[in-house]
Amino acid sequence: MDTNKTPDCNMREALIAYLYNEATPEEVRRVEPHLKECAACRREMAAFESVRGMLQQWQVDELPGIRVVATSQGASVRSMLELLRELFTATPLWAKAFGAVAMAVLVLAVMGTEVKIGREGFSLRADIMRRGPGESAALPDQREPNPEKIELTRAEVKALVDQMILESERSESVELKAQLVGLESALQNMKSDDLARLAARIQQQQAQIRTLERDIDRREGLDLTDILFSELTTGSTQESGTGAQGGGQ
Amino acid sequence: MSDSQIIERTLGGEPEAFNILVHRWERQIYGLTLRMLGRDEEAKDATQETFLSAYRNLPKFRGEAKFSSWIYRIALNICNTKLRSRAKIAISIDEQRETTGFELADDSEDLTSNIQQEQVARHVRRALQGLPADMRQVIIMKEYEGLKFSEIAEILGIPLSTVKTRMYTGLSEMRKRLEHLREAM
Repeated sequence: MDTNKTPDCNMREALIAYLYNEATPEEVRRVEPHLKECAACRREMAAFESVRGMLQQWQVDELPGIRVVATSQGASVRSMLELLRELFTATPLWAKAFGAVAMAVLVLAVMGTEVKIGREGFSLRADIMRRGPGESAALPDQREPNPEKIELTRAEVKALVDQMILESERSESVELKAQLVGLESALQNMKSDDLARLAARIQQQQAQIRTLERDIDRREGLDLTDILFSELTTGSTQESGTGAQGGGQ
Repeated sequence: MSDSQIIERTLGGEPEAFNILVHRWERQIYGLTLRMLGRDEEAKDATQETFLSAYRNLPKFRGEAKFSSWIYRIALNICNTKLRSRAKIAISIDEQRETTGFELADDSEDLTSNIQQEQVARHVRRALQGLPADMRQVIIMKEYEGLKFSEIAEILGIPLSTVKTRMYTGLSEMRKRLEHLREAM
């Protein structure tokens, strides 16, 4: 008897529901007495249990480790920080320097710092550092802004910024020049390498041509000699042949 | 926090909350895609696509069905698309022999003691791959995802009786394909 043959008792749905404990009470009432009577269905159910056991041997422990980078407007929208980062990357050096200086000046201005460029060089004085616990903003005469002084400081800061921009541009230009020189020298090297390779190849081919010419000369010489020699040989043979004939006559 | 609460938070301006759902469901979805497709890398891609698709379509999720049903349906659609797009290469004779005979008939006595879980898993994997996709997905959802027949019917959008019939037929097929292994065990 073929034990693999599926029994045809019209109980499939009820049996499968019973196997997975999802049978309705009505189905249970039908299935249980049937299983007692039908050996084929009993075997089928036992086989299914066994298959289920085997199926459970394939467990997936690994995780793909997925993380959806969620943003408020979809995956393609970048954050403000990312945009700023991209902008900074794309900005030229002088603009970065200008930005940095402007930021520094702003910070210093907020701190009430004086920037001075005099004969003794560059100097900074910050209110935040100068002011002790005893000194307070309660001294109005010291805190009153002096328009001339502000104008002077502004001019000094402007000069400083201009100078830094100039320096930045100069250094960028030097850097560019150095890169160009490097490229030129690399090109020259490549060029001379190529020329050397070409010269070597030409020499090699010239040598081959010379060898071929020598071969041709030698062959031509041989042929002429052979021809001459064969002619000479033929002539002497004929002569000796004639002599012999004549002698024979 | 329930799935629907996370969805509300995500849609309410906390997109990073969606990662909680990813973390909660990725094992099940990966298990489903791997068993449907049988190939690790493809399954990982399918899992990723499932969550991305779910995230993009989250505003369309009405909450009438459970989130799990919805995401299983997305995953199955992605798997079915991948299966359809695969070249219809007939299983080679060798593969068929492995699927049905498992090369165990000759030395089943030795194998009785040697069969390891890993080997059984490999045979199960191959046998499942040999099943028609409609039976395979029902078996996977029932056996590995532990879904109820009614839930499977809802996900697949088919009658409950069809789900049960497919399950019965699928198990019968698996029984035939794993018969030699069963005897060896």
